[in-house]
Amino acid sequence: MSSRYRHLFTPLRLGPVVVPNRIVFSAHLTNYAEDNRPSAQHVAYYDARAKGGAGLIVTEEHSTHPTDWPYEKLIHGFSPDVIPGYRRITDAVHRHGTPIFAQINHNGGQASSMYSRLPVWAASAVADPLFREVPKEVDRREIAEIVAGYATVAEHCRAGGFDGVELQCSHSSIVRGFLSPAVNVRTDQYGGSLENRARLLLELTAAVRQAIGPDLALGVRLCGDELVEGGTTIDDAVEVARLVEAQGVTDYVNTSIGVATASLFMIEASMQVPPGYALFVPSALRKAIDLPVVGVGRFKDPLQADRALIDGHCDLVGVVRGQIADADFAAKARAGLAEDVRLCLSCNQECVGRMGLNRWLGCIENPRTGREEQPAAAPAAAARKVVVVGGGPAGMQAAVTAARRGHRVVVLEKEDQTGGQARVAALVPSRVEFGDIVRNLRHQCHGAGVEVRTGTTADVEGVLAHQPDAVVVATGAEPARPPWAPPEAGNVVDVRDVLEGRAVPTGRVVVVDEVGFHHATSVAELLADRGCQVTVVTPGMVVGQDLGTTLDLEHWEAKAATRGIEQRTDLVPLGLSAGGLHLLHHPTGTNVEEPCDWVVLAVPPQPLDGLYLDLVAHGGVEVHRAGDCVAPRRAHAAVIEGHRVGEIL
Amino acid sequence: MAALLDPLPLGPAVARNRVVFGPHETNLARRRAVSDRHVAYYRRRAAGGAGVIVVEEAAVHPTDWPYERSPLAADAGPGWAAVAGACHDEGALVLAALGHSGGQGSSAYSQLPLWAPSRVPEVNSREVPKWMEDHEIEAVVTGFELAARDAAAAGCDGVEVNAGQHSLVRQFLSGLTNHRADAWGSDRLRFARQVLEAVRRGAGKRAVVGLRLCCDELAPWAGITRAAGAAIAAQLAPLVDVVTVVQGSIYTIGATRPDGHVEPGFNLALTRIVRDAVAGAAAVVAQGSVVEVAMAEAAVADGTCDAAEMTRAQIADPDLVKKARRGRTVRPCILCNQTCMARDVRNPIVTCVVDPSAGHEHEDPVVGGPRPAPVLGQERGQAPDAPGRVVLAAAAREPLELPLATPSTAMAPAAASGPGDVLVVGGGVAGLEAARVAALLGHRVVLAERAGRLGGMVRTAARGAGRHRLDRAADWLEAEVRRLGVGVRLGEEVAADEVSAFGGRALLCTGSRPGRRTYRVDAGAVVRTAAEALDGAELPAGPLVVWDPIGGPIAISVAERLSAEGRDVSLVTPDLIAGNELGRSGDLAPANVRLQQAGVAIERRMLLRAVTPGAAHLEHRFSGEPRALSAAAVVDAGHRLPDERLWRETGEALPRAGDAVAPRTIYEAILEGRRWALSLPAASRLEASA
Repeated sequence: MSSRYRHLFTPLRLGPVVVPNRIVFSAHLTNYAEDNRPSAQHVAYYDARAKGGAGLIVTEEHSTHPTDWPYEKLIHGFSPDVIPGYRRITDAVHRHGTPIFAQINHNGGQASSMYSRLPVWAASAVADPLFREVPKEVDRREIAEIVAGYATVAEHCRAGGFDGVELQCSHSSIVRGFLSPAVNVRTDQYGGSLENRARLLLELTAAVRQAIGPDLALGVRLCGDELVEGGTTIDDAVEVARLVEAQGVTDYVNTSIGVATASLFMIEASMQVPPGYALFVPSALRKAIDLPVVGVGRFKDPLQADRALIDGHCDLVGVVRGQIADADFAAKARAGLAEDVRLCLSCNQECVGRMGLNRWLGCIENPRTGREEQPAAAPAAAARKVVVVGGGPAGMQAAVTAARRGHRVVVLEKEDQTGGQARVAALVPSRVEFGDIVRNLRHQCHGAGVEVRTGTTADVEGVLAHQPDAVVVATGAEPARPPWAPPEAGNVVDVRDVLEGRAVPTGRVVVVDEVGFHHATSVAELLADRGCQVTVVTPGMVVGQDLGTTLDLEHWEAKAATRGIEQRTDLVPLGLSAGGLHLLHHPTGTNVEEPCDWVVLAVPPQPLDGLYLDLVAHGGVEVHRAGDCVAPRRAHAAVIEGHRVGEIL
Repeated sequence: MAALLDPLPLGPAVARNRVVFGPHETNLARRRAVSDRHVAYYRRRAAGGAGVIVVEEAAVHPTDWPYERSPLAADAGPGWAAVAGACHDEGALVLAALGHSGGQGSSAYSQLPLWAPSRVPEVNSREVPKWMEDHEIEAVVTGFELAARDAAAAGCDGVEVNAGQHSLVRQFLSGLTNHRADAWGSDRLRFARQVLEAVRRGAGKRAVVGLRLCCDELAPWAGITRAAGAAIAAQLAPLVDVVTVVQGSIYTIGATRPDGHVEPGFNLALTRIVRDAVAGAAAVVAQGSVVEVAMAEAAVADGTCDAAEMTRAQIADPDLVKKARRGRTVRPCILCNQTCMARDVRNPIVTCVVDPSAGHEHEDPVVGGPRPAPVLGQERGQAPDAPGRVVLAAAAREPLELPLATPSTAMAPAAASGPGDVLVVGGGVAGLEAARVAALLGHRVVLAERAGRLGGMVRTAARGAGRHRLDRAADWLEAEVRRLGVGVRLGEEVAADEVSAFGGRALLCTGSRPGRRTYRVDAGAVVRTAAEALDGAELPAGPLVVWDPIGGPIAISVAERLSAEGRDVSLVTPDLIAGNELGRSGDLAPANVRLQQAGVAIERRMLLRAVTPGAAHLEHRFSGEPRALSAAAVVDAGHRLPDERLWRETGEALPRAGDAVAPRTIYEAILEGRRWALSLPAASRLEASA
C-alpha cells in the first residue's frame, strides 16, 4: 500500500459492495454503442480502466424507456438484447477484481423525437433550451410506466452481472426535471413542494431496490446546483439527499453540477475552470447525510484527489477525464509513480468535443483511447536508428512510440525547447494547462530513452549524418500571410508573434479569425488584458466557432462581454489601408473600414514540408511524415499520426 | 418531341421513363455498407415508377469518410446487388453513385488527413487538407476503377461519378480549389478525364457511365462559371452517357439543393446552356428543386433536358410516376428540407414531413402502396429491433395491400352523409392525415374542424415569408380527404359528449394554444404571438421586435414578412446566430443574408425580460447588461402549449395526435395521425359488429 495517497487507497463499503480504492471512473458518454447495444469497444475501454486500477467503474447511462432516445448511440437498456453485452463488460472488469455499476436513466425533456419518433416525455411541457422541442407532460399512467421501465432495466443489469445500479438524477434526467422548479410546473402531487418534486425519485429508488434485491448497491446522482434561473440549488440538493437517506434503500450518493443542456460547460469544465470547483456539493451533502458521497470536478492528479478525501469533502472521487487520458492513473498512483501519469489537459477536444458531435470518444493525447480492442504494435523485430525532425507533439509521439518498441531514437528540434505550437498555445494564462501535453511527452521521451537535441536545425545532410534507418519528418507549419496582407505590410503579425513576444501590439487591434478555435480568442483576451482595444472579425457567422464543442464558448463570451472585446462577423478582409483594415460584409456586399493600429492574424499556417520533399528527392532512406507538415491541423492529428508512424517503423 | 414518361436511351441501356431518383445522403447505411434499409427505400421508389434510381454515393477510397454513415465502395457490393435486384424487379435502372469528397470531407471518422488538389480549407470545419502527391492521385483513380467494376459486377446498370457538390473531381476542375503548378493544375480536366476513363474501364462497355457535374460554382472570381461549365461539359460528355447538371461549390453548399426560398427549377436555364454545349454527345438531366410533374414535363418537352431528377418529389411521394401516368395528384414536396436533409452529425435518417414513412420503409407499414420490401437475409439478424420506433399494434404492422384508389374506386360519397364510425376532431394536418388513412382503410370518417377552413396551423405558417409552399401539403390532404368521402364539418365545435360517444374511435387533433411567457408584460404593452401576427393581427405603428427563443423558420419568416410590409423590425435571439437551428435545412446562411439585406436588426445573445408600453427590455446573456429597444409591439415566436381543453372535458383518456400532444412540426403531426388510423380495428369488423 502506498503511503503517498493513503486515503485514496483505503477500501470503502458501499452497501453490499466493497470498493478497493476511492477512485471512481464515473459515468460518461462514449458513443461506443452499436445498434444501441454495448459493443466490443465498450468492453475493451472499461477493461483497460479496471486493469489500470480504478476502484469503481460506473458505465454510461442505459435508457429505461423507448421515449428516451436523445442521441443516436444511447444504450437501450429497456431491451433484453443488451444483457449479453452487459455480461461481456462485467466479466472483463471483474477479472481485475473491480466492481462495476450501471447507470440507468431517462433523459426526460432533455431530448428530441428525432430518433424515437415518439413524443418526448417530461414533468411539464417546458421545452429544453438545447433540444427546443416541447415535451409531453406525463400523466399518472406514464409515470407508472417510467417507474416500471427503471425496474426492468435494473433487472437487466442484475442479469448482466453488474454489482450495482446508479440512477442519474442530476444533469440530464427526467428525475432532475421533476426535481427542478425551473421545469416542473405541475400542480399535482408531483409538483410544487420539494417533497412532491422528489416523489418520482423515491418511487424509482424503491422500485429499483425491489428489482435488484439486497446484493447489489444502489446509488443516486444528484445535482448540487443547476446553474440555471429558478433551478435547483445546493439547499434543495441537501434536502433531497436527506430524503433519499431516510428512505433507507440507497447505498451512496454521487454528485454533479449544472444541466447538460444548459450549463454543460460547468459539468465537464475545461481548463478555464479551477480544479475542485464543484467540491462544495459533496461537502454540503456529506455534512447532512451519513451515506458515502462521491465528489467530481476536474480531478487531474492523485494528490488533488487524495486531498479532497483528507479535507473531508467526499468519500470517493470521480476521475473521468484523468482516466480517459491515462487508463493506468490509479495503478500509477498506487505504485507511487504519479509523475508517470499522463495528465489530462481538460482541453475537451477529443472527449467532450466528440460527444456533442455524435462521434466516438477519444483523447487528444492518448492515441489508444477508444481503440483499446485493437492490438498494440508489437516490439520491433530489430532495433533501428530513427531520426525524428521536429519536437512538437507529432515528433515527440512518434519518438515515444518508436522507442518503446525498441528503436533507437533521436529527436532534433530547432528551438531551444520542445513542444512546438502546443507550447506556444499554453503561453496564454487561461490556457496554461494545455502545456501539460508537452510536459507529458517530454516525460515519456525521457522514460523511453529518446535522445532529444534542442537548438538543432536539420537539413538533408544533417539528418543523413546520423546514419538513420528511417527518418520521421515532423517539422510542423509556419505562420502564413494571406494575399491581402503581404509580408512587407507593417503592424500585421501572426498570433504566434504575439504569444511569443516578438510583437507587442498596442492601441486598437483587429484580430482576424479564420481558424475558429482558440487562436484568435486567446490572443484577443491577452491583448485586452494588456489594455488594447480589441475587435475580432471573422468571415464566419461566429467568432471561435469550435469553442462550443470544447465548452469554452461561454467562457469566451463572458470574457469578451466584460472586457469590451468587439466581435464582428460575416466580414472578409480585402486589404490594408493607412488607418486600418478594409473588409467586405459579404451578406450585404458593403465595404467596411475597421480602423486599427495593429492586425493580428489567426489564419491557417503553411506546412513546412521542404525537408520531407528534399529527403524523398534525395532517396536512399525511409522517410515518413506526421503532423502539421502534412497538413496543419490540431494537436490530436499530430499525436495519432506520430503514433501511427511510430507503430509502423 | 420527347415526353417525360417516354423511354430514354442511356448509352447501352434504356430507362423506361425520364424521371430520375438522384443520389443523396440517407444515413440508411449500416456501418459503411449499403443496407437492407437502402433496399427498402429504393425498391419503394422503383415500385412507384421511377425510371432511374441512383444509389447514395459510395466513397471510392478509405481516405474519404465525409459523414459517419457514408457508404464505402469496398463495403457496398452486397448492398448494391440487393438494391439492383429489388429495383430491377420493379423495372427501374440502377446506377451506383461514386465519389471522393476531397477537401470537403472530414477527418473525424477516418482520422486521416483530407486529400485535395490544394490546401484550401473546408469552409465550415476550416480543416486544411493535404495536397495530394502523385501516387495518391493514382490511388484515387484506381479506386474509381475498382468501385465501378464492383458496381457493375453487383448488377448495377452503371455508375454516376460525382463532380458536383462535395467532390474531389470538381475540386480538380476548379481554379477555386486547384492551385497546382504541376500537370494536374496546368490541365485541370486531366483528373476528371482519367477518372472517367478508369470508370469506363472498370464498369465495362455494357454499363451506363454518368457524370454529375457542377457547371456553375457561383464564385466567378476563380470558380467554374456558366460558360466554363458548359465548356467542361462539352469536353467530358464524349466520355460518358449522361450528364446531370448541378450548381454550387465550397462557398455555396446550400445552392445545390436549396429549400423553398429559392424558386423551383432554378437550374433549368443553366441546364439548357449545358445541353446545347453537349450537343447530343450525352443525355442531359436537369436537377434543382424540380418537384412538380408539370415542370419536368415542360423541361423535357421544350428541350431543356432529356430527363429530370425529381429526388425530393419522390421522397415525398414514391408513387409520383405511377400517379403522373394515371393523372392523379401527387403528394407535394413542399421544399421545406426539414427532414430529408440527412447530412448532419446526428445521423438522422432521411424522411419527409408529408410522408413520415419515407426512409422507414423497412419498419413502417405501407399506406396505399405495395408491400414492404424484403430485407437482405444476412443482415436481418443484425438489424436493431428498436423497440421504441414503432408503437403500432402488431396487426397494423402487417403489410397492407391497399390498391391506389382512383376516382372511380373512391369511397362511396354516401359515407359523408351517414353516421361515421370514427371521428377526428381538428382539421389540421394531423387530423387530415388521420382521416385520410382511416378512409383509405375503409372507415366512415367524420372530420370536424371548428374554423372555417381545413389545414390548421400549417395555413398560418404558410403566411410567413418564403413559406407559401406549406399550403400545398394542406391542399393535397384536403383534396384527398374530400375525394375519399370523409364527412367534413367546418365551423363547428364538437361537444364533449358527442366525442365521448365514439370512445377509442375518436381522435383529438385540437392543436395548440399560446405558450407561457417567460418575461413580464406591463399593462398597455402589446404582445402578439407569431401565429397571430401571421394571421394578420393588427400591430400598432412603430418599430417591432420579434422574440425568437427557438431559432427555427417561424420567427425568421415573421421578421421577413413584417419587414417586407415596410415595418422597422428587430429580431431578438438568445443565440449567437439568428435562426440557429436552420443548419440542417440549409437555410441558416441564406436566412441571415436575407434578414440583413432586408435591414432587419439582429440582436444576438439577448434574453427578453419585459415588455412595457413602447419598449422591449433585453438582457445580455453573458454580461447581464440591460438594454431597452423601442417597440410598438413584441411578436413572440416562442414555444406553444397543447390545447387540451376537449381532452380534459372527455375524461383525459382519448387518443391525441400532433400539437394536441405537444406542439411540434408537420412531421410529428402527420406521423401520429397516420399511426392512429393504422391502429384502428379493421373497418369490416366494426361494420359487422355495428
